[in-house]
Amino acid sequence: MSDVLRTEKARVAAPHAAGPTHAGRRTLLLTCAALVVLLALVTCSVAIGEVPLAPDAALKGLLGLGDAADVLIVQQFRAPRMVAAVIAGAGLAVAGALLQRMFRNPLASPDVMGVTGGASFGAVAMLAAGASQALIPLAALGGGLLAAVLLGVFGWRSGVSATRLVLVGLAVQAGLTAAVNFMVVRFPTELAGSALQWTTGSVYGRTWTEVWAAGAAVVVALAAAFLLHRKLAVLDLGDDSAGALGVNTDAARLQVLVTAVALASLAAALTGPVAFVALAVPHMVRFLAGPPTAGTLALTGLAGAVLLLASDLVAQYLLPVSGLPVGVVTATLGAPWLLVLMIRQSSSVNRSVR
Amino acid sequence: MAGARPPSALLRGVPLLLAGLCALAVCAALSLAVGTRSVPLSTVLDALTGQAHGRDAIVVTGLRLPRTLVGLAVGAALGVAGAVVQGITRNPLASPTTLGINNGAGFAVVVAIFALHLTRPVEYVWFAFAGAAAAALFAQALARRAGDLDPVRLALGGTVLQLVLLSWTSTVMLASKRSLDEARFWLAGSLAERPLSVLYPMLPTLVIGLVLALAITPALNTLALGDDSAQALGVPVARIRMAGGLAVVLLAGSAVAVAGPIAFIGLAAPHLVRQLLGSDHRMLVPGCIIAGPLLLLTADILGRVVIRPSELQVGIISAFLGAPLLAVLARKVAR
Repeated sequence: MSDVLRTEKARVAAPHAAGPTHAGRRTLLLTCAALVVLLALVTCSVAIGEVPLAPDAALKGLLGLGDAADVLIVQQFRAPRMVAAVIAGAGLAVAGALLQRMFRNPLASPDVMGVTGGASFGAVAMLAAGASQALIPLAALGGGLLAAVLLGVFGWRSGVSATRLVLVGLAVQAGLTAAVNFMVVRFPTELAGSALQWTTGSVYGRTWTEVWAAGAAVVVALAAAFLLHRKLAVLDLGDDSAGALGVNTDAARLQVLVTAVALASLAAALTGPVAFVALAVPHMVRFLAGPPTAGTLALTGLAGAVLLLASDLVAQYLLPVSGLPVGVVTATLGAPWLLVLMIRQSSSVNRSVR
Repeated sequence: MAGARPPSALLRGVPLLLAGLCALAVCAALSLAVGTRSVPLSTVLDALTGQAHGRDAIVVTGLRLPRTLVGLAVGAALGVAGAVVQGITRNPLASPTTLGINNGAGFAVVVAIFALHLTRPVEYVWFAFAGAAAAALFAQALARRAGDLDPVRLALGGTVLQLVLLSWTSTVMLASKRSLDEARFWLAGSLAERPLSVLYPMLPTLVIGLVLALAITPALNTLALGDDSAQALGVPVARIRMAGGLAVVLLAGSAVAVAGPIAFIGLAAPHLVRQLLGSDHRMLVPGCIIAGPLLLLTADILGRVVIRPSELQVGIISAFLGAPLLAVLARKVAR
């Protein structure tokens, strides 16, 4: 872990040497590009469907203008799903970025830290109990928070240490996954199928109530993430330096952790634990835009939204088997990008840093 | 650091290793005796020496002896593979799973079930090994750079590969109800219904992997100091990492082929041993040879007892059992 730390330090130190304006401009350009792509995808997702609409009619319908039938189709059926994908994608990606940066471990993400395991556990337990479909997002949220509480109970011991939290997170994730596995093995086949469907992550049939509730909370958590950004930058310097600069490292870590957990559990409540977004999107952004800044954090959120929405479109319209959840596409769609970026980055400069 | 410890300090771990061996012997005995049909230990002994006959003896020698031997082999392989993979990636979050081994095997088996209509774990062995080996070799090919494996890229690339394979597995399972029904039990990881004929084809790979892992243990200590220091101390870093990678493929690949994906042993065994014996790989690897099967057999015995007369897959129990263990260990981490 110590060499990862050194890499991060070098990355934090790098922009001041190389000129911060260059990196800043690059981030801005990429952010604009991501916004354009996201807009295009949003248009696609409201225009394509059983009843194809013209793109301008669909966008007007989204704003409540134009033909009443179009407005109904777009606002009632297509928009909630689209918004859910955007919000969850952004939430997961930012949560992953926060955790990876704080733990200085490239593998840290909500999937590893038990949050998504908790969400799966809550939802599958509800399925097992035979509760109504509407309760499942709430159960997922509760499961995510349960995982966070377990993390806190075991991980808190006169302060928050990164290594200990990561290990505890692994343990929590493993235990909760085992619980889900247990139920899947004991279920009849149909229930096992729907459990698998849910734990893969899907945006099918979201309602405005769910989207508004989770969306508002995610926006608040995102705002908190940006406010915490300065503290994260100080934490990057290592505990001693951060302490010397007057930052209470324990409190700062706890705040970051709570924010990341909240983001991830809300996203998981909305779409289920979609794999890959939280782990990989922060890496992609770092490969493209360089050292982490507030700008790259925003870019990370956008990129997450783009990936999830694009995956949902692929799952809905391009796959031969219908009704597959979005979670089966994100990794396949995103992995080649990440791998290309990883292989391109193999310059000798980075080698010596590691 | 750890590599510089004198041999006398190393010897202090020996009593602990012996204690571990005794615990393992107790576990193996229990594993022979406990189950849906409990057999007294004296009968077990008689059955093993061929003096007892009848139903109890058949249960012990025909069902439980193979199961226990399979458990010993699989547990040791997973434990050692975990220690080696954490050594070569220098990442405490890494485990054989990180190289995509479990998910590669899982995907291959699910596809085999889907396409070839297989129904018994015995038939999955070669598919599982091929899938596991292919995934792990691919992950290592991704991480190669200038003839060496980059630890960060190995961990990250492997995890990404793992997620891709997992999503493909889910796709097949969601598209075909029959595959889901057959595969979900194998995917939980189990020692049940594994005759010794499942273990035999994997013995050569297991032994080669184990020898390789033991051979590179001193070099792993130096590797822990960082690539540059290790290079300066005359350790061929690239070659050691490649050998380690190969050992992990052989060990964990065979383990998965025999027992199905058991995620937790490879992660927890090295952490457990590191707490007790320190991070010197010369003690860590032998420690894992004992701790791995100890964890696995304990989990297997519990799995047979908790919901008698039915039984629970060892993969599930080992995670249930190992999770609190890892959490408690983590509390002791000083930093």
